[in-house]
Amino acid sequence: MEFEGPAQSFVDEIIIVENVHKWFGEFEALRGVDLRVKPGEVIVIIGPSGSGKSTFIRCLNRLEEHQEGRIIIDGTELSHDIRNIQEVRREVGMVFQQFNLFPHLTVLDNIALAPINVRNWTRDRAEEIAMKWLTRVGIPEQASKFPGQLSGGQQQRVAIARTLAMQPKILLFDEPTSALDPEMISEVLDVMRDLARSGYTILAVTHEMGFAREVANRIIFMDAGKIVEENNPEDFYNNPKEDRTKLFLSQILHH
Amino acid sequence: MTTHIESTTQQETSSSRGFNWQLFLQDNITGSWYQAILVLALAIITANYAVGQYETYPVMTIIIVAAWLVGIVMVMIGEGRRHHTNFSRWLKENLLSSVSNILLTLLVGLLIASAFIGALQWGILNATFDPAATAPELQPEDGATWGVIVGARKLLATGVLGPEYSWRVWTALFFILGMWLLTYISSRPVLKDKLRVVRNVINGLWLLSPVILYIFLAGVANAPYNFTGALTGGAVLLAIYALLWWQKVIPFRWTGLIATVATWPVLYTIWWAIGNSETFTPINVDEWGGLLLTLIIASSVIVLSLPLGMVLALARQSDVFGIPAWIIWPAGIGATIWGFTSTPELLATSRNLVEQLLSFWPIMILAIAYLIHRMFKGNMVSGASTMFIELIRSVPLITLLFMGINMAPFFFSAGTSIAKPWPVIVGYTLFSSAYMAETIRGGLQAIPNGQYEASDALGFNTLQKMRFIILPQALRIVIPAIVGQFIGAFKSSSLVSIVGLFDFLGINRVISSNPQWLGLRVELYVFMGLVYFLGSFLMSSYSRRLEAQLGVGER
Repeated sequence: MEFEGPAQSFVDEIIIVENVHKWFGEFEALRGVDLRVKPGEVIVIIGPSGSGKSTFIRCLNRLEEHQEGRIIIDGTELSHDIRNIQEVRREVGMVFQQFNLFPHLTVLDNIALAPINVRNWTRDRAEEIAMKWLTRVGIPEQASKFPGQLSGGQQQRVAIARTLAMQPKILLFDEPTSALDPEMISEVLDVMRDLARSGYTILAVTHEMGFAREVANRIIFMDAGKIVEENNPEDFYNNPKEDRTKLFLSQILHH
Repeated sequence: MTTHIESTTQQETSSSRGFNWQLFLQDNITGSWYQAILVLALAIITANYAVGQYETYPVMTIIIVAAWLVGIVMVMIGEGRRHHTNFSRWLKENLLSSVSNILLTLLVGLLIASAFIGALQWGILNATFDPAATAPELQPEDGATWGVIVGARKLLATGVLGPEYSWRVWTALFFILGMWLLTYISSRPVLKDKLRVVRNVINGLWLLSPVILYIFLAGVANAPYNFTGALTGGAVLLAIYALLWWQKVIPFRWTGLIATVATWPVLYTIWWAIGNSETFTPINVDEWGGLLLTLIIASSVIVLSLPLGMVLALARQSDVFGIPAWIIWPAGIGATIWGFTSTPELLATSRNLVEQLLSFWPIMILAIAYLIHRMFKGNMVSGASTMFIELIRSVPLITLLFMGINMAPFFFSAGTSIAKPWPVIVGYTLFSSAYMAETIRGGLQAIPNGQYEASDALGFNTLQKMRFIILPQALRIVIPAIVGQFIGAFKSSSLVSIVGLFDFLGINRVISSNPQWLGLRVELYVFMGLVYFLGSFLMSSYSRRLEAQLGVGER
């Protein structure tokens, strides 16, 4: 499987995050997060539950609103301006833990709906591209079925195809394999690996160590709303710098 | 359910040891005080009723009691042999499963049979069917005079509407039936793709159908051609087209522009020509009556309340922050200060304490500003929609209808008279759409948050998100409730007879007070009941079909 790469980006740093704070009422979920990502980088974010990792990547396409700091995606700053948000969302694709496919539409319509209405493509072109992506994630024969008729792994692959059909430059994965049965995880990870190799900028919240070691350029460990450690995969797993990281790794490795 | 399972297991154990009288009594009668009293009361009622029925219909009662006894004997034989035939097992499981059910079976059997015989005697055996012989002295003593339904068919169908308009009502009816037939045929799976153009034409006709029906049923007056009006309409359409193009909702095309701008003048000219031809002279819509009025009111309310309810529900759910606090407070305080300029004069002229207090009315402005700010955090869209819905829902429909009729003249210049059906339709639509909004809101709340997030993440704007993702799913969930409301709207439209309109139910009073059909109420009510049942049944069976169709691929 070889994937077509994303459209080229003309900025040095495709994601710039500066001192981002986010409160849910009294609770401060993000306490000053800084991150800079170059086009084509693959970043895996890990951390204990409640550490703010999901909140962080959801801020990147404004599913959550940050209250302090700056987020600049491919040269566009996320602000209250609805047009900026729409523009960013066109460039940033997101894959969810619960797939969030549209249950009332066929697999093909699930994928083609956004290109037709957001990118203003003709139905024929959108369906052609939808079929192309379905073929690439390995399930073209499921095009006319409804999401409810597919297995979890197939649904997640449809969700990835739906995201890719919008031709995003950045892909956000929010625990894409956590809701899957063990034997289906590898089929989704295979697709993600190929995407990583074909040049997409990827931010993935996942605890799949094999995936992280193999394709990540950097691993970010978050705890209590902050980035605790940022390291390359080899050092991260073998010689973590911070005590908090060591504790976490020992917990996930020896349970 | 549980008791059923228990009793079978107990019977199995008892049958393996032979019939156990003690267990049987405990199960059926002496299990508890309530059970014993219930069975006793049931036995007394049934016996009394059977004796009473024996005096009125001896043959029928004997046959039913005999059949009942035979059934019991068959079940007992089956129990004794520990082997049931299919029929005796069916009897045991459905009609004769316990002592109380055995008694109920007889009671209900007698009730149904006597009601059936009574209806048969009144409706057919003793009834007359001659439309000409319906006068009081010719009406049978204990039977129906069905002739009234044929004799008064005109009143039942269209009320007091003049006979010269009959052809227009018929044409309107055939138009609608024809449209339905065409829609049905063209949406068959075999033809669906071949007839795309035809389907577009049909959809266009459906959109125009309110206007067409209005021309048929209300008529067009012969008025001089209004050039300014025609041009203004075209200009408004031009402005709308420009706005949509500017907002990038539609692409620019010369053909599209010309078609849009020309729509109004062309339609107006057709309208004017129809008025000029005097084929469809205006009908006094106060003369609408009978089934025609019921159908007009019900279908207008049904057609209007769904989109209106959708808008209200979406508005109530919306998170548009309309007016922030820093505008509400200065504006509220400014308006209050301005309002107080009238206070000294009001205070000087007031005659009692109440009037003195009322002269401080501008405080109300502050109170309202406070409420808006406090309750809706400045979200005017949601606030206005919530207030509208709650206000309408807290007022009875009758009140709205009366208010509609009495208040309608205030909205127009003095001397304009408004025909009653219009304010009734408006009031009823507002009422119905408030309830519809709440129903649809229920559907919206059933949609998981992930659906909103996924559509946001794909870059849909709010309208697209609602149109393609949320509403199709939400509406499907609430189809049964929506159709329930449609049926309610159809039936409750009979309330309009209270405000002096003679709809299908209200026309009963006119017919039964006519010397020709004096006192013939029951026949009419039976007939009306059948018609209402037919309408409601059609709607609910259509909804069941729709649910089955849309249920495809549901998780």
